[in-house]
Amino acid sequence: MSATITADSHAAAGHGDHGHGKKGIMHYLWNTDHKVIAMQFLFSSILYLVIGGAMAIAMRWQLAFPGHPIPFIGQFLPSTIVSDDGALIPGGYNMLVTMHGTILVFFVAMPVLIGVFGNFLIPLKIGAGDMAFPTLNEISYWLFSISGVIMLASLFAPGGAPGTGWTAYAPLSSFAKYNGTQLGQTLWCISLFINGLSSLTGAVNYITTVITMRAPGMTMFRMPLPVWAIFVTAILLIFAIPVLSAAAALIIFDLNFGTAFYKPSGGGQPLLWQHLFWFFGHPEVYILVLPAMGFTSEILAVFSRKPVFGYKAMVYAMVVIGGLGFIVWGHHMYVSGMNLTLSAVFGVSTMVIAVPSAIKTFNWMGTIWRGNIHYTVPMAFAVAFVSMFVIGGLSGIFMAATPIDLFVHHTYFIVAHFHYVIFGAIVFSLFAAIYFWFPKMSGRMFNDTLGWVHFWMSFVFFNLTFFPMHNLGLAGMMRRIADPTVYDCLRQVQPLNVVCTVGAIGLGLSTIPFLINIFWSMFKGPKAPANPWHSTTLEWTLSHPIQHGNFPVIPTIHHGPYEYSVPGLEKDYLPQNEKAPSHVTLEAH
Amino acid sequence: MRHFLKSSILFRLGFAVALLLTVGSAMAEQRSGHIWGLPPCVTVHGEQIDRLFMIIFWLTATVFVVTQATYIYFLIAYRKRPGHKAFYSHGSDKLEIIWTTAPTIVFLALALYGNHLWDQIHRPAPANSFEIDITSYQFGWQMRYPGVSGKLSPIDVRKISDENPFGTDSQNPLTAQDVISSELVIPVGRPVHLLLHSRDVIHSFYVPEFRLYQDCVPGRTIGWVWFQATRTGNFQIACNQLCGTGHYNMKAPIRVVTEDEFAKWLKPRQEKNAAPAAAASPVATLTHP
Repeated sequence: MSATITADSHAAAGHGDHGHGKKGIMHYLWNTDHKVIAMQFLFSSILYLVIGGAMAIAMRWQLAFPGHPIPFIGQFLPSTIVSDDGALIPGGYNMLVTMHGTILVFFVAMPVLIGVFGNFLIPLKIGAGDMAFPTLNEISYWLFSISGVIMLASLFAPGGAPGTGWTAYAPLSSFAKYNGTQLGQTLWCISLFINGLSSLTGAVNYITTVITMRAPGMTMFRMPLPVWAIFVTAILLIFAIPVLSAAAALIIFDLNFGTAFYKPSGGGQPLLWQHLFWFFGHPEVYILVLPAMGFTSEILAVFSRKPVFGYKAMVYAMVVIGGLGFIVWGHHMYVSGMNLTLSAVFGVSTMVIAVPSAIKTFNWMGTIWRGNIHYTVPMAFAVAFVSMFVIGGLSGIFMAATPIDLFVHHTYFIVAHFHYVIFGAIVFSLFAAIYFWFPKMSGRMFNDTLGWVHFWMSFVFFNLTFFPMHNLGLAGMMRRIADPTVYDCLRQVQPLNVVCTVGAIGLGLSTIPFLINIFWSMFKGPKAPANPWHSTTLEWTLSHPIQHGNFPVIPTIHHGPYEYSVPGLEKDYLPQNEKAPSHVTLEAH
Repeated sequence: MRHFLKSSILFRLGFAVALLLTVGSAMAEQRSGHIWGLPPCVTVHGEQIDRLFMIIFWLTATVFVVTQATYIYFLIAYRKRPGHKAFYSHGSDKLEIIWTTAPTIVFLALALYGNHLWDQIHRPAPANSFEIDITSYQFGWQMRYPGVSGKLSPIDVRKISDENPFGTDSQNPLTAQDVISSELVIPVGRPVHLLLHSRDVIHSFYVPEFRLYQDCVPGRTIGWVWFQATRTGNFQIACNQLCGTGHYNMKAPIRVVTEDEFAKWLKPRQEKNAAPAAAASPVATLTHP
């Protein structure tokens, strides 16, 4: 039924309840059009990005200049976080550690990668009129919004937000006597529970849409890689999220109702939480990185004017990453008190999961090889993604080796590692994707100069912030400590902490040209042509504004997604809905 | 401006900077290990770990330089030029097989070698090891040494509480003999076997110079940690598992001393505790090992 939605049929049926008839603010508050929902997610996430980023800069200030009042904003922060003169107190530092991690993972990375681009791209790229369950889709957004409000509310709970880290290890998190903020920690759990419902409803929607609503001719192996990536990600969500929700519910019980799931004196097991959390937590990493990989693959191909090198290998690699992602969680627990042989087993699976990532890296290099590379802002971010991902991947090998983990576990080496993956790779690919699809989302072009300023500032300051953290970690600097200068062995590397902080402030400033560019160009930018990048996939066949229902006529797909520079064709791209002329043969992919 | 920023020279420069940052800052200065920032390594296992570390460092550094050099070369050589058209290709199965097999072999070899070392490090502590009980709490450390009998008083983890920090049995005469200390003093050159405990939440015993990290889990005894110091010096135990507001400052001094100095430190403490116990109980008269 849904598969036959088109822009025309839609208008004829006159579905008033879809929200497109509404005027003014209601149009943006309750709307079941997947494109509007994508924008809802985008603007919410940008707000959280600013909040979570500001927290990071406050932490960096404290690490570089322990005990010094935070300039400008210090005085305005609540007394659970800062002292009277506006300097971070240790408990407040722990709260920022927790909220920074939680917000960036659950309220920035996930909603932008999956909420924004999953919603915006899946129907447009597979030739569908909307998502399979449009109302569920909007409910998913509002669940996300509610969970965000609850998360931020925990900052104002008596005792403040939880200071237990985004990993919330029990029994610190599950025992009010130890964490000092029963309500804050409970709100954190409730928020993640509701956030999980949002992810699950989204995932169900994506999977159903991809399976049932592809346009004629759009076989699975003709789907663009971002769709494949989000499809695999949605499957991971379905398996991983319920485990986190259940584990968080157990914390709520332990905290408030005196159960003892994680408390040894009542017969519980502290390590149970870690197993449950990381069973979710490690697939979570791939939930974030797979869509990023998908976007990058496509953007590299478009601007190299070449088909993606090894399309099928890329798909298989993602599927393998998704599968193996569920049997590597123990590498977070080599030294947790878990059985030592089990650590060794996880050591092997962890090394093996590096293989598909290596395959993808080689294929990205293969994609630009002998290309005709157009340097644009989205391409610059995609190009940088590959290098940053390589650094983050290679530093992961150190920790994957069980004995090295005895040395670098929980140090700044791991902080450097996962920021190279989560910021250097994932956030860079988010920026690439936002610039790349901006003309399609807003109907206007962004400002190129501001875009390049944003790119170079991000690239330089990102590396300045996070590269020295490898050395800090090897010097023995523990993560999540509010003041490194209390340790003799860390005082001599304190200048490196100052370098990181300078980088972090620069990185914070680098988002200013980005925000100006997005908000200014959305209203004042030059009108974008339908297909500014001369791209082959279906979304570029529609001109702005794309009506509710998307395609006036459901398109028919004739070949794979990345037919660039086909010999014998005048133009260097062949859209998926255009038949190749008879004198042209397309290579199998 | 736009063209200036876009130019491939700047691109080249950017990646050259990234490369310099990576290899340069890793190799620029030496502190005491082979990589800048590495603290001195003072245990036998630590030296083995550092060797593996250097193998992985050179392996990954080589992979990084080779792949990034190739990548940057592609980025420059295949930039947009007038009249140039991209090469139409969907990939190569042969290449896919090669770059699947090669990393698989390398990664499996690393995993096997790593686990071999992991296994060596975690062999049961040698018979001549000196046993020390360490208990962690919000936010500090306490060490327990054997008394004059040479034996630690046995414990029951279920009894560990604020009142009974080690979970010992007060009826057992050995309990009174135990030597309690707030600093960890250990003899150089002799294996030291640790029994790690926690009184409340998870803490971790972390000493960067020992290349040693182990979580202390409440309700359990972690008994597989042992090490042998190779030189004397002063270090610190750091808690490296977020454990509450005082976490950042949860530390304790470590002194690695010669056997003589160690005996000089421990003996008087043992004898002090032995005096009243000797009168009260016959067990305390057990011969000193």
